[in-house]
Amino acid sequence: MKLLLFAVAITSALAQNRYTPPKTPWGDPDLQGTWPGNMGVPMQRRPDLGTRTELNDQEFAQQQEQARRNAAADAESTAASDTRVGIGPPSYWTERGKPTRQSSLIVDPPNGRLPGLTAREEQLRKQARDGRGFPGEWRGEANAPDDLNIYYRCITRGLLGSMIPVVYNNGNQIIQAPGYVAIRNEMIHETRVIPLDGRPHVGNAIRSYMGDSRGHWEGNTLVIETTNLTDKDAIGSNGAGYPGDPGHHSAELKVIERLTRVDAETMNYEATVVDPATWVKPWTMLIVLKKDPHYQLLEYACHEGNYALGDILSGARADEAAAKK
Amino acid sequence: MRTKLAIAALAAGLAVAPAWAHHAFQAEFDEKKPLDLKGKVTSMEWINPHSWIHIDVTNPDGTVTNWMVECGSPNIMLRRGFTKRSLETGTELEIKGYQAKNGSFRANGSSVTFKDGKKLFVGGSNPDIPEDQR
Repeated sequence: MKLLLFAVAITSALAQNRYTPPKTPWGDPDLQGTWPGNMGVPMQRRPDLGTRTELNDQEFAQQQEQARRNAAADAESTAASDTRVGIGPPSYWTERGKPTRQSSLIVDPPNGRLPGLTAREEQLRKQARDGRGFPGEWRGEANAPDDLNIYYRCITRGLLGSMIPVVYNNGNQIIQAPGYVAIRNEMIHETRVIPLDGRPHVGNAIRSYMGDSRGHWEGNTLVIETTNLTDKDAIGSNGAGYPGDPGHHSAELKVIERLTRVDAETMNYEATVVDPATWVKPWTMLIVLKKDPHYQLLEYACHEGNYALGDILSGARADEAAAKK
Repeated sequence: MRTKLAIAALAAGLAVAPAWAHHAFQAEFDEKKPLDLKGKVTSMEWINPHSWIHIDVTNPDGTVTNWMVECGSPNIMLRRGFTKRSLETGTELEIKGYQAKNGSFRANGSSVTFKDGKKLFVGGSNPDIPEDQR
């Protein structure tokens, strides 16, 4: 029943919005609350689905069946005699997400897939790190920390990565005050404080992973324009690239976010990525967020306890020493 | 059957979530060094991005080695109801996993169970868990 309700909510979220949200005491549309992201919608659509934005009944039923099997496996209280099915992380590490009909986060271009790269960007990706490419997913190299992406290194998922649901800790919180909106992302403990007073962006020389955000209201939609980003992070499903793609972009990246409550429990988060130096045309993602007053954002101060990075670098040295023998 | 189901579910889970926060697991742990550790909990590091259980394991020669076993994000473990009081010092555990590539006494815990075979951690999250139990 819950799943069905969720499916209905998605459908209504994609329909034209007629919902009027409550107002804050100072008269702005009230977007406040915790809005955790839901895993499970791929960034890019399966090519065979074409321009279809929603899964059909059969495809959705497969998702529901998978969720049922996951839940059954998760509920097993006794371990199998040997569950060492490989050295991947155990299933208890991750969130599962709820099945939805949305066929991809990317909703424009209409095929749900990234537009092509510019010739300049293709060249950059070939030449990066002396021809080894930008570090997206781990490629078996750990000569230095920067062979690992900045998410592995606990630095940030950047904008837009910080909004994209990932393995766990997908909490988002919105807090408003007169003239400001603050957006918190649990993974990896980011907060953007966004002025709404129309002030200009900071100077061009000032650059950061989360950029410089300015917001304004268009009706009941909060529109945020972010510039002053860097070319040192990446956009992607893990905040550090798409599967098979490092997600690298230029420092001229501009992100336009649109947050619209479409019913009492649902907010459409849309983000348009404009970076003519990287992609031949802009592209847009839709993340459907569900309000969850029971969700509490917890600290995710990541760097201090990240023993994995040391283990990975020293593990690579051990591999090298073994190869020399 | 249960094992098959669990493996299928795990494989499917990996298929939709190819990227792990701080883990190229293959980069950190060595699939050629499988472990079966039995020992008593000495402490738990309740830290981000991943928590670590420390256990004393008695070796065949009678010496004792303190092993560290990597666990999930404390945030999600807390959401599943696991608290710092859930694992008392001295609790006996069996851990099946793999040793770190660098040869240190660190391991990933593919399976962490009590003496009776009950899993220490149950998960991932079940969409149907009542809200007050999440």
